[in-house]
Amino acid sequence: MKCGLEIHQQLNTKKLFCDCNSIIIDDKPDFFLKRKLRTSASELGEIDKAALHESQKNKYFIYEGYHDSNCLICIDEEPPLELNKKALNIALQVSLLLNAKPVDEIQVMRKVVIDGSNITGFQRTALIATDGYIETSEGKIKIETICLEEEAAKKKKDTQDYSIYNISRLGIPLIEIATGPEIKSNESAKEVAVKIGMVLRSVGSLRRGIGSIRQDVNVSFNGPRVEIKGFQDLQSIPKIIKFEEERQKEEGIKEPHVRKAEKDFTTTFLRPMPGSARMYPETDIPTIKISKTLLDSLELPVLIDKKVENLEENYNLQAELARELVKNKINFKDYVKLYPGLETNFIARVLIEIPKEIKSRFKLDSNELKEKEFKEVLQLLNENKLRKENTIDCLVQLLKSGKIRLEEFKRVSDKELEETIRELIKKNPKLSPGAIIGDLMKKFNGKVDGKKASEIIKKLL
Amino acid sequence: MKPGDKVKITLKDNSIKEGIIMPSKDDTLILKLNSGYNLGINKTKIKETKQLKKEPMKKQDKINFIQDKTLKRVTILHTGGTISSKVDYETGAVSSKFKPEEIITMFPELKRIVNLDSRLISNMFSDDMNFSHYNILAKEIIKEIKKGVNGIIITHGTDTLHYTSAALSFILEHINIPILLVGAQRSSDRGSSDASLNLIAACNFIKETNFVGVAICMHANTNDNVCAILHGCKVRKMHTSRRDAFRSINTDSIATVDEYGKIVYQRDYSKKHDQKLNLKLFNENLKVGIIKIHTHMSKEQFEVYKNFDGLVIEGTGLGHTPENVLEEIKKLKIPIVMSSQCIYGRINMNIYSKGRHLQELNVLGNFCDMTPETSFIKLSWLISNHKDNLKHLFETNLRGEINPKTVFNEDFQK
Repeated sequence: MKCGLEIHQQLNTKKLFCDCNSIIIDDKPDFFLKRKLRTSASELGEIDKAALHESQKNKYFIYEGYHDSNCLICIDEEPPLELNKKALNIALQVSLLLNAKPVDEIQVMRKVVIDGSNITGFQRTALIATDGYIETSEGKIKIETICLEEEAAKKKKDTQDYSIYNISRLGIPLIEIATGPEIKSNESAKEVAVKIGMVLRSVGSLRRGIGSIRQDVNVSFNGPRVEIKGFQDLQSIPKIIKFEEERQKEEGIKEPHVRKAEKDFTTTFLRPMPGSARMYPETDIPTIKISKTLLDSLELPVLIDKKVENLEENYNLQAELARELVKNKINFKDYVKLYPGLETNFIARVLIEIPKEIKSRFKLDSNELKEKEFKEVLQLLNENKLRKENTIDCLVQLLKSGKIRLEEFKRVSDKELEETIRELIKKNPKLSPGAIIGDLMKKFNGKVDGKKASEIIKKLL
Repeated sequence: MKPGDKVKITLKDNSIKEGIIMPSKDDTLILKLNSGYNLGINKTKIKETKQLKKEPMKKQDKINFIQDKTLKRVTILHTGGTISSKVDYETGAVSSKFKPEEIITMFPELKRIVNLDSRLISNMFSDDMNFSHYNILAKEIIKEIKKGVNGIIITHGTDTLHYTSAALSFILEHINIPILLVGAQRSSDRGSSDASLNLIAACNFIKETNFVGVAICMHANTNDNVCAILHGCKVRKMHTSRRDAFRSINTDSIATVDEYGKIVYQRDYSKKHDQKLNLKLFNENLKVGIIKIHTHMSKEQFEVYKNFDGLVIEGTGLGHTPENVLEEIKKLKIPIVMSSQCIYGRINMNIYSKGRHLQELNVLGNFCDMTPETSFIKLSWLISNHKDNLKHLFETNLRGEINPKTVFNEDFQK
């Protein structure tokens, strides 16, 4: 098997060629457009198969637009602005982190797409960097290209005569990362995807949520290449590749083409593989020189994996806690410095696990607990004014009332404890030590130091 | 190595790039990779360039098509612009296609509507047009009329489309066929181009109509489903980029033509007649200017025009200028006409004393509702052909350029 991955990640900047915010909207559209697309034989003398496949359908398209995320540029009524600088910087950072070489001059291209998903009839796309690699457990995997391109509109309905698209998504910047056809196993495909995802998240400014990251798989089993699009999640990659291999064994494969991943892990035919004939320069946008000065000015973030590793090593943290701390962008170093009396794994648990427990056990929104609240409680713990076992109750109290009432967590004094035990024994000399502690807990609502109580009982009996 | 060559490039860091050299400037080499992407390589980073054998270009099949001789005869005259351009996917260069068979290949629908001929007159940006081009175009139209065509379509860059439509309206006195100017706001090299619907609608209109005269045929709105036929003298490009940039000014469109060819007339229009066509060309040596009035104007701005043959003042409001330039206007001993920078509405230089003063200085155009562009063309044409009767004729409706009555419309821009 020869397998290569294409990862597409939406960026959370403005749109790639206009001033619209990258907001995907799904409610009632503000306006509608009706458009047609056409194509003819390309000048190379060959007709681009993917383009022709669509044009033969002679369809019209209804576009549903939204004022908040669409402008004249989005609807092909105004020429594009220049490539969004922030998106470009992100793409360059990702390129460098993937050990790739940025091109010296970027030329935005038009990739002919006439299924209607781009109102212009083409998708603007630019090659940003080439020849990178990532390390995996099975060795280096080549990152062949890193591109920056426009997101397409989302198809809502498809009939023989027309298609309906929601265009709020159209134009959102996408980073496309393509690996070499060097991935040898299903599991390795997944590892590569996870690793690239980690690099992307390390740079940040990504869109979140369903559909914001998509994986395409290029796969061939000693035959023509098949591109599989639309994986819902990473988990499904190995399974779908396996099913596709079986399908090819049974049905055979004649020509390279594009397939769609279905929910049941099978794939269906989408369109023929597009050829290079469908790319030509976007003449409305000047080329962009990538100077050394620009590259030197980019501040490369520390990779998430590296941050996790650092936390584990520096603070002897459990791996899972360290990963969560990084994910939640918690500045753990600060906490450790502030509360030297507390164990690092304990601090991490307070910050990571206790909020989860509050959510599940008390059905409270622990997201409302912010740095201030955690610090207040950790300070009390650090000064021994609060006992560890009361941490969760204390945070719940803070969440519910906004105040901490320490007296509720105060223990019964040794003196009162001894007197009560004495009375209990006097009343019923036959009580076992266990039964006495049970009675004490009931009486004092749990605010009894069990160890101390046992000592006193032993002494008095 | 030259553009079009297929090469294998070894860089100093030993990485290898393969592709076709594209035209490029300065110190960057633009290479089209096999994937289709272009990328720029700094020439100083190249260690070695090796030429590869290029795959021969596949020849395109010769296109054979039979024209239906029973259909109306239409000739497309091309003047340039992006409407009939096609991109070369190999170099990215845009080339134009003008032969009838090439037009039919690009827009196959046309052959079912009309019996098409097609010729290249010039290949230029519309901004570079001058009076001589209007004359050439008019003479070419006459040639076609003599051949017996039923209608003419002129493809044209959009920026000055409305100047040309006005110019042809005046040159071709008593024209007896429809002449439609068609442009495209999105170039034909993209799937979303408005060119095809504009051309198809123009053909459909000519096929059915009894309208005679010069008009513009462009998208009526942003959808690809209806075009407007706009009067050649009462139309203006009102948007830098939208498909429906061309709007009727101070009147309704003549008609709309939908995607299926259905025509809905919106107003009265000139129909077939028995009068003889007169060709009244422009004097190509004329110098006529347009000056836009604004605040903080200097007298010197008018001095420029002292050796001109005519001047259009694009005045404020009803047709006004600042007080301090009146003296300068008086000094200019050339025909001067007033038009309004409001674009919509009529000139009335009776309302304020300044307007009356301008009339005393022989500034023409009172009660006219022509755009500055139509005023410019009409003034120039009158200087060329009717200098003796200029005052009277400028303020007289000759081609539908002056509408004596403006009908109320809830939205005057509609």
